[in-house]
Amino acid sequence: MIRVEHLKKSFGNNEVLKDISVTIDRREVVVVIGPSGSGKSTFLRCLNRLEEVTSGHIYIDNVDITDPKVNINKIRAEVGMVFQHFNLFPHKTVLENIILSPIIVKKVPRKIAIEKAYDLLQKVGLKEKADDYPASLSGGQQQRVAIARALAMEPKVMLFDEPTSALDPEMVGEVLEVMKRLAKEGMTMVVVTHEMGFAREVGDRVLFMDQGFIIEENTPKELFENPQQERTKSFLSRIL
Amino acid sequence: MNFRIDLIIEYMPYFLRGTAYTIGISLLGILFGLILGLFIGLGKMIKNRFLSFPFTAYITFFRGTPLMLQILIIHFGVVRALLGETNGVFAGIMALSLNSAAYVAEIFRAGIQSLDKGQMEAARSLGMNYYQAMRHVILPQAFKRMIPPLGNEFIILLKDSAQISIIAVPELTYWARVFQGRFYKVWEPYLTAALIYLFLTVVLTFLLDRLEKRLKQE
Amino acid sequence: MKKWLVVIFGLVLSGLFVGCGEKEAENVAGEEQTEEKKELRLVTDAAYAPLEYMEGDEIVGFDIDFIKAVAEEAGYELEIEHVGWEPIFVEIEGGTADLAVSSISIRPDRQENYDFSYPYFLSTNKILVREGSDIKSAVDLKDKVVAVQNGTTGHLAAEQILGVDNPNLKKFDNNNFAIQELISGGADAVVADNAVVEEYVKNNPDQNLVIIEDPDAFEAEYYGILFQKGSPLVADFNKAIQTIFDNGVYTEIYMKWFGVEPDIEHLKSLQD
Ligand SMILES: Nc1ncnc2c1ncn2[C@@H]1O[C@H](COP(=O)(O)OP(=O)(O)O)[C@@H](O)[C@H]1O
Ligand SMILES: [Mg+2]
Repeated sequence: MIRVEHLKKSFGNNEVLKDISVTIDRREVVVVIGPSGSGKSTFLRCLNRLEEVTSGHIYIDNVDITDPKVNINKIRAEVGMVFQHFNLFPHKTVLENIILSPIIVKKVPRKIAIEKAYDLLQKVGLKEKADDYPASLSGGQQQRVAIARALAMEPKVMLFDEPTSALDPEMVGEVLEVMKRLAKEGMTMVVVTHEMGFAREVGDRVLFMDQGFIIEENTPKELFENPQQERTKSFLSRIL
Repeated sequence: MNFRIDLIIEYMPYFLRGTAYTIGISLLGILFGLILGLFIGLGKMIKNRFLSFPFTAYITFFRGTPLMLQILIIHFGVVRALLGETNGVFAGIMALSLNSAAYVAEIFRAGIQSLDKGQMEAARSLGMNYYQAMRHVILPQAFKRMIPPLGNEFIILLKDSAQISIIAVPELTYWARVFQGRFYKVWEPYLTAALIYLFLTVVLTFLLDRLEKRLKQE
Repeated sequence: MKKWLVVIFGLVLSGLFVGCGEKEAENVAGEEQTEEKKELRLVTDAAYAPLEYMEGDEIVGFDIDFIKAVAEEAGYELEIEHVGWEPIFVEIEGGTADLAVSSISIRPDRQENYDFSYPYFLSTNKILVREGSDIKSAVDLKDKVVAVQNGTTGHLAAEQILGVDNPNLKKFDNNNFAIQELISGGADAVVADNAVVEEYVKNNPDQNLVIIEDPDAFEAEYYGILFQKGSPLVADFNKAIQTIFDNGVYTEIYMKWFGVEPDIEHLKSLQD
């Protein structure tokens, strides 16, 4: 479903992604771990071209999204993204946050968009918050809204960039719960996170990134319990 | 010094008529200034230096030269070239609009750039194109932040409009000067005009404060 | 409420002004002891060629030559400063300047608040129009747009035809702007002193402007030197004016600027 071939990305002279090749299958949940600054976010952002790649190719359903001729807005509509800091639109209510893009990008009739939004809010357990502004929600609630907002576009893939690392510990669980349910429903997901429990429970595969390379990849169980590379070992010993 | 209140009262109709001109011209000036300023501010934000240059040059010119000269150039030069004859009111509104547009453009740019980058990214990640993201996500938020500096700009413009009296636009300061030319009195016309300006700016400040508070509550 | 503000504000500011005036008076008195000739501060609006105008940073013109000759005769030094038209009256009234020459017409309303010297110049307002204009005399101005210099006799003369504060009467800061407005099509006519319009037409023959005289509508005016009410200088200057009228100096200056002989006898006949 997603095929990344020799992806390289530089900011000026700083080569952040050095040669990334990886394939992600439909319905697969891939967890990306690695030290800070290793290029995890950049990798994720390349997958919906929030960053322009320097070289290499990324295919989503066999469409090369690095092709300058491709309609990038259409690609992005099919790739949902959840950010560390939620990035909800503060001037719009929860409901408006969710229906905005379906209405203006996909031209979904307003009434249908609203129905759909309530379904999604139900799913993330926030139906009663539909008319509130984001500022009045807790961090965990905001992130659940952000997930619902991304899902409203009916994406083929969901990208999560450290979705729980800006949250107070007691709110991490509610967000992970939503993500687990999504995984079980068969959503294709790429998740940057350091929540090892989540990785073990729903992850099909873990990628360990360091200094712009994928150093090691394996099932969660194998990678956590039996890391092959020195760098993986030292990283895991630091965070576990 | 004998302060001639009676002359002020006699001249009040002219002061009031002048005040109406001042208000009307200032309102039109800020209105066109806003529209033009938004456009120029967006133009200045174009990444391509070549394309953004005209907008940058515009801002540099209008912020870097005295308004008085802009008024004279526009009145005796530009408007005459455009209409074939001078027209003080037209030139006055034009000068104030063009001048304030430069300041408004900078306010827009600052307002937009002060927003978290994440807002644009979130909008784009949801499939919106640049204009949709601007229109639905960035500008509504930026506008709120721009209200105080824009209000400030409006007050400055209102006071600056006094300068168009030099091209004989019959606004408030013009009538104060005519008063002086007529009766050879200084305190009466200029204090009266100053108090009217003060009244206008105080009322305007009050209205802007209320608007700001209401927007904050939303 | 508003009245009180005016009064308080006025009092505070006038206090400041009086303070400044006193200081200057002291200075002048101090200098007097060391210098023989007393220096006077003369103010003018040097935007009225050829009577008074700027040549580079120097103030020149008929009035300037005239007043220099008179002051020399009367035994005074002059410090001449260009302050603009309206400030002239403020400075003289407030005593921050001693005298003013600036093509100032002697008029009863001005005489209420100021003193004038003997008349030293005859002037009349004339109408300046573009070539081919249908304005042939002053009455034709009635429903035209007329540009004038704010506060001049031209302003008042035009006001008498168009009505007080008629919006068609555009009052500018100086005659140059008013004439510019005429050339630019924003006005149909300018009413100003003959000296000003004649000088302009002479210097700008390519602008195709025409001067219209209307002695019936515009009374002759006489310029005088402006002093503060009750100024002790008036007598000295009047005496000096007489002298240069009689000794040919006035005629010489007049010829230099206008190329014709002045009617000194007529001016003299107006002295009280
Ligand atoms: N927009 C940018 N401009 C320049 N350098 C950047 C930019 N974004 C990220 N980087 C750099 O790229 C490297 C990898 O960053 P990132 O992908 O955010 O790492 P991670 O998410 O693994 O912590 C860092 O050194 C960072 O400074
Ligand atoms: Mg990161």
